[in-house]
Amino acid sequence: MKALMSIGALVGVVGLLLLAGMIFDIIPSNTIRLVEGYMPMQMLFEVGCYVLGFTGLSYMLNAMGMGIPRFWQGIGFWIFFLLYIKYRIYPPIPFSVRAMYGTVGLVAVLMWVSSNEEDWKKFKQPILNVLDAQTGFNKVLRYVYLIALPILTWGFSYNAMMPKSEEPIELRTVHPAPPASTKVHGKTYVLQTSLNPYRVNPEGKYDQEYTNSLIVEQGMGRLMKPNANPWDEKAEGYLKYVREGGEIFFQNCHFCHGDNLNGRGLHAFAFNPIPANFTDPGTIAQLQETFIFWRVAKGGIGLPNEGFPWASVMPPWEQHLTVDEIWKVILFEYWHTGYYPRTWD
Amino acid sequence: MQNSGTQKAGLMRSIAFGAVLMTVGMEIPAFAQGGIPEGFKKGELAAPPSAEMIEAGKRVYFTKCVWCHGVDGAGDGPGADRLWPRPRNFNQGTFKIRHTASGELPLFDAKKPVRGQNDLFDTVTHGLPGSAMPPWEGILTEEQRLQVLAFVTTQLVKDRSFTDKQSETQTILNVAELKPKPPTEESLKRGAELIVEKKCIECHGLEGRGDGNAFNLKDDWGFSIQPANWHKCWNFRGSRQDPYNVVNIFRTFSTGINGTPMPSFADNTTIDERWDIANFVNSLCERDADGKPLPIDPLTDKPKIDFVIPSNLVEGEIPADIEAEAWKNAPRRYVAMGGQITHKPRNFVNRIDDIWVRSLYNDKSIAYLLEWDDRTKSVAEGKLPWAPTEVNIDIPEQEPATGEEGSIAAKQNNYPVYNDAIAIETPVKWKELPAPIKPRYLFGTNEQFPVDIVKWEADGSIRAFKGTGWDKDFEERDNYEEHLKVLKSEWKNGRWYVMIERPLGNKKDQDYDEDTFFEVGQYIPTVFFAWDGHNGDAGRKMAVSAFYYTFMNPPIPQETYIYPVVIAVGVVFLEGWVLTRRANKKKGKTL
Repeated sequence: MKALMSIGALVGVVGLLLLAGMIFDIIPSNTIRLVEGYMPMQMLFEVGCYVLGFTGLSYMLNAMGMGIPRFWQGIGFWIFFLLYIKYRIYPPIPFSVRAMYGTVGLVAVLMWVSSNEEDWKKFKQPILNVLDAQTGFNKVLRYVYLIALPILTWGFSYNAMMPKSEEPIELRTVHPAPPASTKVHGKTYVLQTSLNPYRVNPEGKYDQEYTNSLIVEQGMGRLMKPNANPWDEKAEGYLKYVREGGEIFFQNCHFCHGDNLNGRGLHAFAFNPIPANFTDPGTIAQLQETFIFWRVAKGGIGLPNEGFPWASVMPPWEQHLTVDEIWKVILFEYWHTGYYPRTWD
Repeated sequence: MQNSGTQKAGLMRSIAFGAVLMTVGMEIPAFAQGGIPEGFKKGELAAPPSAEMIEAGKRVYFTKCVWCHGVDGAGDGPGADRLWPRPRNFNQGTFKIRHTASGELPLFDAKKPVRGQNDLFDTVTHGLPGSAMPPWEGILTEEQRLQVLAFVTTQLVKDRSFTDKQSETQTILNVAELKPKPPTEESLKRGAELIVEKKCIECHGLEGRGDGNAFNLKDDWGFSIQPANWHKCWNFRGSRQDPYNVVNIFRTFSTGINGTPMPSFADNTTIDERWDIANFVNSLCERDADGKPLPIDPLTDKPKIDFVIPSNLVEGEIPADIEAEAWKNAPRRYVAMGGQITHKPRNFVNRIDDIWVRSLYNDKSIAYLLEWDDRTKSVAEGKLPWAPTEVNIDIPEQEPATGEEGSIAAKQNNYPVYNDAIAIETPVKWKELPAPIKPRYLFGTNEQFPVDIVKWEADGSIRAFKGTGWDKDFEERDNYEEHLKVLKSEWKNGRWYVMIERPLGNKKDQDYDEDTFFEVGQYIPTVFFAWDGHNGDAGRKMAVSAFYYTFMNPPIPQETYIYPVVIAVGVVFLEGWVLTRRANKKKGKTL
């Protein structure tokens, strides 16, 4: 038991040191990367590790006779949690979201310290002690509180009432509902039934399974499968079209969506919100190929009202590309990110 | 005694003199010591990478890099022709950012991914800001980055060899052991003198905005190249995602940039002088009002963007003098500009990538002070072949694949010159728009959601238009232009300073169907457009910003001073109540 707890304590101390390093900018907060798309799970896991570590730490301190009172444990853990979400999460999350998490954290801490009558008493005791001011120290503390509280309240409310200019928050639908069909270059495409004409095997037959087996490998780097090089001169069918799609992508799309399709292109920094990140499992991996076809062909200007057309500079690509080129680009995007398009069934 | 004393003093003097001689002497041979410039040391070429690494690197290359750098690494991939700077042609083994002496191959060791000791690895890791090369850290693993470099250095560098000790030398800038000189006032002053003495300003311009010799410089491949703008350190290719670090500048200055007209100054400056220059150049990079480095957004490696442009209230006339106190106190906002690549003609290379905006207002009008770097002042010669209101003008768009001859990089000096220009766009009925809807960015959506566009051009004109769609010609608002004022327009040493004043507008006596009404304390969506005449920018070929918000700071209301006091007094009462209650309760208990 003791050995287990000391390991826990070690984890706790190391974790705290890591966090301290991040707070003081000694350790970059992206040392251990948050995996794109799995951030909440990873965060919960990490916080769980911390909790176990703290349990060990508190056990060891108690064993050494240096236990921390419940009151300070509660406050300490809440402060830890606030610092964690501020400094650990990368890219940083906005204050409004942190405030929400912080409140949830506070409630959790209160539930923990009031889980039974005795704990709650222990937790309250230091507060009551100050109120009663039996000792000299507590007396001083009480006066400090009595003076500081109104002053702080005044300061905060003054600050809050000062007119400020913060960017208004505007929500938008990321994937607005698509229409049933879309007309591109004079031809109507029904989204439910249209197929990407280039998703074909070397014999030229539509073959989802074959093409899905040739996309890049998931995992760091997302590299192409060995012996499935679209730049191979002998590449036929799907892979050949992937290369052609890539050529179109790197002549038209990478300026915003980036060389790695992660929405960090050359011009991306100027736009708000920044362009879509296709490597995120929340974008093209969630959508059907025909949905992408419609979005690419019609661009930001073709979005329905709930998509808030103004926030997108996505070109209506039918102005620049042929239908064939659009399908090839889509083929390339799925290949390069290693995702399968969703199907209707 | 006296005699020996004098002798002693004489001895001391001669020792001191000798010491001085020694130090001077030590400095002189340092220049020529075995041909090694000061601050450099001899290095060894690294061992060649293994065949497995090269093979693995090929897989990385053909997944990620081939699209710009091309099948043979000649910098001619499908993306190349629409980029400027063009992607690197690896064949010649010419690399820009190095720790090695001018002309030498960069540091590369497939087994040593150490920052500052492996130039090519650093380039792949951190990217080359200001170009299309992104940082690959977080996308490719360290191993994959080394692998792809193993492939590039052995298979695609064709004219030179990273392993041939006969033909290649390595003379390495010893940055690790050179302590940066603190940027004292004295150091900065000397740096400012040295950039004149060493002729830096001939290319980089009097203020270092890269406007000195903007259009006569070529790289080794004959493509036009522009000197760096020292005020935008986040665009320095060698900034290594650490733009305000003076060591980067020291390194570039010491080693030069291979393949470009930027020479190495290692042979004709002392280390001390190089630090002075580096300190001075670093001091020019844009900083905030307190002189602190701008916060850099880790997602984009550019300054963080605040989308609200606050406008301060002034009493009386809005001053036309930039040095006026009101302008100095007005907060400055960085407005990022991207190329207009939504509709034809698309502008793949926008030379204007940011604007600094300040704003002031009084009871009648609002003024914007716009400052942006533009290496050339461009005013079209003669009359332009289209009317100012025309939007769909005949400007060709860059072809996707032309070969090097017809690429953007090759065309840089040969665009017809149009007017430099800037425009501010605001939606007309921004208050009446249904919540989610804002008119589109580019010249509005339709008659229902038009935009108000105020455009200034370098020929001195200022015009007001109504925009009703990206492909609809503007409608001119004739009488409105009488109310517009250009308080200042000046191009100086690579920077435009333009101050535009326009009426606030109001529902009573302005035509609300055409003009934006600027209301205090409200967020008024605002877009900026910029044209660089020497880039052939006209019509839709331009640089665009995202939607920003103009926010006219309201005067501080009385309540702000009163309510907090009331609340604080309330807290005092509350405290009294809690204490009394506690005391009573305790008394009750003890009794």
